Amino acid sequence: MTLAIFLIIAFILVGIQTAVPFLVKRTVIFGVTVPEKYLKNETLTSYKKGYALLVSLLSFVVLAGYLLWALMNNPSEQQTVLVGTVIQFGIILYSLTLYFFYHGKTLQLKKNNNWGEGLKQVKITDLSVRSQDEMLPWYVYLLPIVITVGVIGYTILQYDLLPKQIPTHWGINGEADAFTEKTPMSAILMPLTFLIMQFMFLGIHIGTKKSGIKLSAVNTSASRMRQLTLRKNSSWFMFIISFLLTVMFSFFQLKTIHPDLFAGITMAAAPILFLVIALAGTIAIAVKVGRSDKLSNDETELEITDFDEDAHWKGGLFYFNRKDPSIFVEKRFGVGWTLNFGNPIGYFIVLVPLVIILVISFL
Amino acid sequence: MIIRIEPDSDIPIYQQITNQIIEGIARGSIQPGDSLPSVRAFAADLGVNMHTVNKSYHQLENKGIIRIAPKSGAVISSPQDFNASASDKLKEAFKPLIAESIVIGMSNEQIQELVTSIMEDLRKSNKHLK
Repeated sequence: MTLAIFLIIAFILVGIQTAVPFLVKRTVIFGVTVPEKYLKNETLTSYKKGYALLVSLLSFVVLAGYLLWALMNNPSEQQTVLVGTVIQFGIILYSLTLYFFYHGKTLQLKKNNNWGEGLKQVKITDLSVRSQDEMLPWYVYLLPIVITVGVIGYTILQYDLLPKQIPTHWGINGEADAFTEKTPMSAILMPLTFLIMQFMFLGIHIGTKKSGIKLSAVNTSASRMRQLTLRKNSSWFMFIISFLLTVMFSFFQLKTIHPDLFAGITMAAAPILFLVIALAGTIAIAVKVGRSDKLSNDETELEITDFDEDAHWKGGLFYFNRKDPSIFVEKRFGVGWTLNFGNPIGYFIVLVPLVIILVISFL
Repeated sequence: MIIRIEPDSDIPIYQQITNQIIEGIARGSIQPGDSLPSVRAFAADLGVNMHTVNKSYHQLENKGIIRIAPKSGAVISSPQDFNASASDKLKEAFKPLIAESIVIGMSNEQIQELVTSIMEDLRKSNKHLK
C-alpha cells in the first residue's frame, strides 16, 4: 500500500516535472522572456525536449530501481517511506538542477543573438479585465473557519469526555497512530492548527485577488485566458482542499470525543480519497492552465514586445519587484503562484501563520 | 479598453496613462459614468507603482475629467460637468503647440488640416458622437 502510494505520487511528480516546459506561459522559456518571433527557435525547442527527456529518463530508472528494491528486499514500512521520500526530494532537486542548466543556456542564447533588440517594450492592461475575473468571493473561505471554530468550541465544552491520550497523528487508513498526554492545549491543538492554516488560505486568496491580472501585449487574448483560468481554478482548488481537510479532521476530532457514537463508521477510505482528489485536481489545473494560452493565437504587431521583466526574476524563479503592488504573481517555471518577494505583505500572509503554528505546537 | 504604456519612453508613465484615458473617452471606448479600476488594481495589473496611477488619477481629477468619490472610486465625468474655465485652460495648452507648428513652418491650412484629421480619427471610432 505504502509502496503503491509513493510510486503513484512519484509518477505524477515526474509527469508534471517533465511537462513543465510545455505547460508554462508560452513567452517565458526556462524563466527567460523570449520575444514572440523567436518562440519557435529550434535551439529552444531542443532545450525543452532535452529537459523533458533527461528528467523523465533518470527518474524512471530510479523509480524502477526503487520498485525492484522494495519487491526483492521486502523492507519495513519505515524504510519504504524513508527511501520513497528521499527519492521524491531527489527528483525535485534533480529537475531543479536541470532547470538552472537550461535557464543559463537560454539566457546565453538570448544574449548572444540580441533577441529583443530594436523592439519597443510595452506593458498593457485592459480596464475591463477585472469584471471578467471569476475568482471565488472571499467569504466562502469563512465556511471552513466557522466549522473549525465550532469544533474547537465543542471540544472545550466536552473536555471531560476526551480520553487521557489525545491522538496527534493519523495513518493513511484514517486510524490514529500517535498520541500525547491530555492537556487543554493538546486537546484543541489539531483544530487550532487548521484554523490558522485556514486564515492563511483566506489571506492567500485575498492577496491573489488583489494581485495583478497580467496581460501580454503581444498575445493579449491568450494571456487573458490563461490568467483568468488560473485565478478561477486555483481559488476553487484551494477552497475545495481546505474544505475537505476541515471535514475530514473535524470528523477525526469528533471521533476522539465520542468514540462510541461513531463506532460503526470508519474513515478508512477518507485519506486515500482526499489524496486522489488532491492529485487529480493538481493534474487537472496544470493541464487546463497549461493549455489555456496555447489554443488561441493573436495577431501580433511585429515591432513591439512585452516589457522584459527578467531583471526582477532572480534565477527566473523568484520575483522581486518593489514597484509592483501585486502580492502574488504567476510562476514562471511551473503552474501556479509565487510570492512577490519585493512586497512585505506576502511574507506576512505566508510566514506569520507558519510561525504561529510552529510556536503553538512546541508550547 | 486596452491601456498600453512604454516604460522606457521619455513621457512619464503617469502622463501616458492620463493621455490614454482621455483618448479612450474621446474615442468612446469608455463613457461618462463608467468607473475606472481602483488605484491598487490598476497598478497591480499594469505592474507599476501605485503612486504612478494615483498621480494620473489626480491629474485627471484636476482637469475635471474624472470625479473621485469615496465609495464608487474614479468615475468619468459628463461633458455637462465642464465650464468655461476648462476650455480656457486648454487654450493655454494649445498655444505652445500651435506656436511650435508655426515655428517649424507649417501654414495655417496645414495646421487646420492636422487638427481636422486628428478629430476625424478620434470621432470615427466614437459611435456616440455622430
